[in-house]
Amino acid sequence: MSNNEWPERMNKKPTLLVQRTVRGGQSVNFDGNVVILGDVNPGAEIIASGHVLVMGSMRGVVHAGAAGDDDARVTALTLAPTQLRIASHITRPPDGGYAQTDHMAEMALIRDDTVIIEEYLPPR
Amino acid sequence: MGKVIVITSGKGGVGKTTTTANIGASLALLGKKVCMVDTDIGLRNLDVVLGLENRIVYDIVDAVRGNCRLKQALIKDKRLENMYLLPAAQTKDKTAVSEAQMIELCEKLKEEFDYVIVDCPAGIEHGFKNAIAGADEAVVVTTPEMSAVRDADRIIGLLEAADLRNPRLIVNRIRINMVKSGDMMSVEDILEILAIDLLGIVPDDDEIVVSTNKGEPTAMNDNSRPGQAFRNIARRIDGEDVPLMVLEEKKGFFSALAKLFKS
Repeated sequence: MSNNEWPERMNKKPTLLVQRTVRGGQSVNFDGNVVILGDVNPGAEIIASGHVLVMGSMRGVVHAGAAGDDDARVTALTLAPTQLRIASHITRPPDGGYAQTDHMAEMALIRDDTVIIEEYLPPR
Repeated sequence: MGKVIVITSGKGGVGKTTTTANIGASLALLGKKVCMVDTDIGLRNLDVVLGLENRIVYDIVDAVRGNCRLKQALIKDKRLENMYLLPAAQTKDKTAVSEAQMIELCEKLKEEFDYVIVDCPAGIEHGFKNAIAGADEAVVVTTPEMSAVRDADRIIGLLEAADLRNPRLIVNRIRINMVKSGDMMSVEDILEILAIDLLGIVPDDDEIVVSTNKGEPTAMNDNSRPGQAFRNIARRIDGEDVPLMVLEEKKGFFSALAKLFKS
């Protein structure tokens, strides 16, 4: 079973497509979903009221569901953010840094009131 | 019509001025007519690195304000016939020159010279904006340290926003034995984050300290390893295809002997 069944309500939000690498000091702030075709480097921030999807490495600060939506998710080919926020939850990487994975992509979501990161499984 | 290339980094102390001096000298050695412009007003250094400090009469502020003719402010190098310096002012600050004045200055210099190399001050404020205002191309210098790479990333973003597309990267002060032991970021690690074209790599060498204090760019020394790296970079800027330098620690007699026994 895939884990990418997103609530219909989120699908109806507008989506912003960013076709570049978001570098340190730059910020993307959007009321809706954000899709980045590139990397998000350390020192950059992505703030969206909906989902955030990064087709590259997510190394900056990301806040999905920034208006308080617990169903928002953050997905990236490499998910290694400086800090990851979903709605009112704030997480940071473990002090030892991220473990290497061979996952094609990873997704962060809230389950049982905790932010968890799991492998993104494409729909079958 | 020449080309204006700005050398920038964001972070201070990564080797912008040394890089400017050596790329300038290398291009001059290739027979190009080169002018280096120091835009670090108030903290000028390029004249010292080039050993031309005691020849300054007029500076960039005098030139843009019309206190002198541009030609009068240009200092001809004492060794290389076709190398010139436009020094920064020391008693003023960055606001003494405007972006419009810099653009005008670069346009004038381009008519005279094959290459105009602009040494940018550290930071992202007025001095940085001035330095990039008249540039056609940008070269970003970084060292294999996380803080320098972060600042380089920020600078690349600002360059792109200012329509200086496709800046090229120089990784300075690489210590290959530390990279091999995993204690220093490798060029690959840096490129993965910055994702721009690599212009060259320069090994860390005590020779740089010596040449800087002597006021003679190390690129003028045939036996210098960083000098060789800078000469390669200049040839790439001039459109030649030069392979990257192989950075191996200098082999002493004993390590050569040990290698002989191993094989």
